[in-house]
Amino acid sequence: MTLLIKSATIIDKTSPFHNQTKDILIENGIILKIENSIENKGNFEEIQLDNLHISQGWFDTSVCFGEPGFEERETIENGLNTAAKSGFTAVAVNPNTSPVADNKATIEFIKNKACGFATSLYPLGSLTKNSESEDIAELFDMKNYGAIAFGDYKKPISNANLLKISLQYAQNFDGLIMSYPQDNSIARNGLVNEEKNSTRLGLKGLPALAEEMQIARDLFILEYTSGKLHIPSISTAKSVQLIKDAKKKGLQVTCSVTAHNLVLTDDELMDFDSNTKVLPPLRTSKDINALIKGLNDGVIDIITSDHNPIDIEHKKVEYSNAKFGTIGLESLFGALNKVIDTDVLIASLTTNPRKIFNIEINCIKVGEKADLTLFNPDDAYTFTEAHILSTSKNSIFLNKKLTGRVYGVIANNKTIL
Amino acid sequence: MSQLSVKHLIGIKHINEADINLIFETADHFKEVINRPIKKVPSLRDITIANLFFENSTRTKLSFELAEKRLSADIINFSASQSSVKKGETLIDTANNILSMKVDLIVMRHPNVGACDFLSKHVNARIVNAGDGTHEHPTQALLDSYSIREKLGSVTGKKVVIVGDILHSRVALSNIYALKLQGAEVKVCGPKTLIPKYIESLGVGVEYDIKKALEWCDVANVLRVQNERMAINYFPSTREYAQLFGINKPLLDSLSKKIVIMHPGPINRGVEITSEVANSDQSIILNQVENGVAVRMAVIYLLAEQIQR
Repeated sequence: MTLLIKSATIIDKTSPFHNQTKDILIENGIILKIENSIENKGNFEEIQLDNLHISQGWFDTSVCFGEPGFEERETIENGLNTAAKSGFTAVAVNPNTSPVADNKATIEFIKNKACGFATSLYPLGSLTKNSESEDIAELFDMKNYGAIAFGDYKKPISNANLLKISLQYAQNFDGLIMSYPQDNSIARNGLVNEEKNSTRLGLKGLPALAEEMQIARDLFILEYTSGKLHIPSISTAKSVQLIKDAKKKGLQVTCSVTAHNLVLTDDELMDFDSNTKVLPPLRTSKDINALIKGLNDGVIDIITSDHNPIDIEHKKVEYSNAKFGTIGLESLFGALNKVIDTDVLIASLTTNPRKIFNIEINCIKVGEKADLTLFNPDDAYTFTEAHILSTSKNSIFLNKKLTGRVYGVIANNKTIL
Repeated sequence: MSQLSVKHLIGIKHINEADINLIFETADHFKEVINRPIKKVPSLRDITIANLFFENSTRTKLSFELAEKRLSADIINFSASQSSVKKGETLIDTANNILSMKVDLIVMRHPNVGACDFLSKHVNARIVNAGDGTHEHPTQALLDSYSIREKLGSVTGKKVVIVGDILHSRVALSNIYALKLQGAEVKVCGPKTLIPKYIESLGVGVEYDIKKALEWCDVANVLRVQNERMAINYFPSTREYAQLFGINKPLLDSLSKKIVIMHPGPINRGVEITSEVANSDQSIILNQVENGVAVRMAVIYLLAEQIQR
């Protein structure tokens, strides 16, 4: 199949055509030509879209699709289609399924279910058996069947020795370990950021201290063991500082931040909307400023939507009974596009996460695989339920004004627009 | 006649000073009514009220029930221990089932913060919050302010210290909002483990020395030590709590002025305050109970008044 993309502004710092508007000819999934103007001689399928911008395909390192076990929340099929239409050509799915993805059979099942889609799926294996934080799962076996990193999703590794052993063991096969930053003895059953708003609402606070102490502990362990540690979804100013210092020391630590933690504060909690119940919790504007600076300075490597579909039965309930989590694939770009510098945003969705999770990078140049996200950065709209493609509708961005619309993707020799 | 600015009474933070004045003026009238030989008015005889208590309560439930009966409302009572909630029914379903029986107003106590707010968005009835987790207990705060006003003439400019477990207390939070709204000065006093870290952001002071706190104030509102809300020990023993924060007669007598002692009940005698203090002429604890009925009558009457009938 041959495809001609007309007048696309290329946003790819690794490409010689960065910030230039070009026509792109793609044949059988490979970029054949990038020129100022390409004539449509062969009656190729042509893509001509308003204010079209193109970047490398985005990769979200933390999504949940429910399947197997929670298909009422989301299925792999609809999840991957949602990801494609939201601009993601790759997603890493968390192991919080039922059964937990802690063995090669479940990893294989998930991989098999994800065959033949535009968006590629990369499973994250559970670090411990059944994510119970007791015994290490068969990490090497899972890696051989496609798991790209190992963690227990939002369950912290409470036992410091377990993290020590995991970091040491994974070095045998260059494995990446993820540790959710929360000290449960401090967090207890905290629901929202401990600050003036939690005090006003009488909601049990989750102090920033819980996150920062766990990160400090993990970094101490990493310094002792060496190895590669990824800390997902940091949310406080002090966490940024801790990771900055560790990187300066030369530790192999990387981290991500969620889209909602970059733009929303705990002021959102005032009417007890359970969609605002997320982990890590929404923090303060001081934290947001530090997180954005952390991104710009290269301390924070990755932005994730932390897409977590939760069915209405677990969200349309009293705040304290609601499950944590928001969907985010559909709204990520529109929420961040005018807040984060474009080059930083695109790098944190493309080259950075692909390098860290060791998956293929496809630069926008002739001869490379066409793995592309198509978007219009200037389209402003109010995000409503009509924009949600996920099975579950629990979006923290409902009724927010977003700017930037995603057209879709070209990947795996498929076009989803 | 004036009306409340809200459709529900979910929290003091949603109402304004004019609402409080209106509630107090209406309560004055009802207080006179409940002291008549015939303690009842027919105002709400076409209104049905459901008292939904998802958490144990004795005095608040009795007070609401009495207030409703004095207004001639029809009432139904529901408590979690004898309901289908234990069978897994959700709050919305429980409430909607009850509303299908054509209930006009719901008085609800619930262990979860924000439960009344949640209910008000999903059911078509007036809601009165009778306590939601550690969030608010607005009628308690109103009756506390009403009792201060009755005793001292006004709340404005008075110095009130709230003593005890502030961290787990909806009474403290509602009281802080109500007192600040009426221009009182507020301090909290208790073990540091039971004072929220960011409490000063609500415009209140913090004092850890009970004697200094009492010396400063005109009114001490002493809260119950809520052992049932504590998942862990925030202090080693009630004995030690009483040593540090208990109010006894010698302590009261050592102060340079006579302060007013309040307590929302039930009292742990000998822990927060001694019997001698509870029974002294400085205590207005039983006035609070009487005023509770009048204030709750006022709140229910004013909300029911907005219902088209």
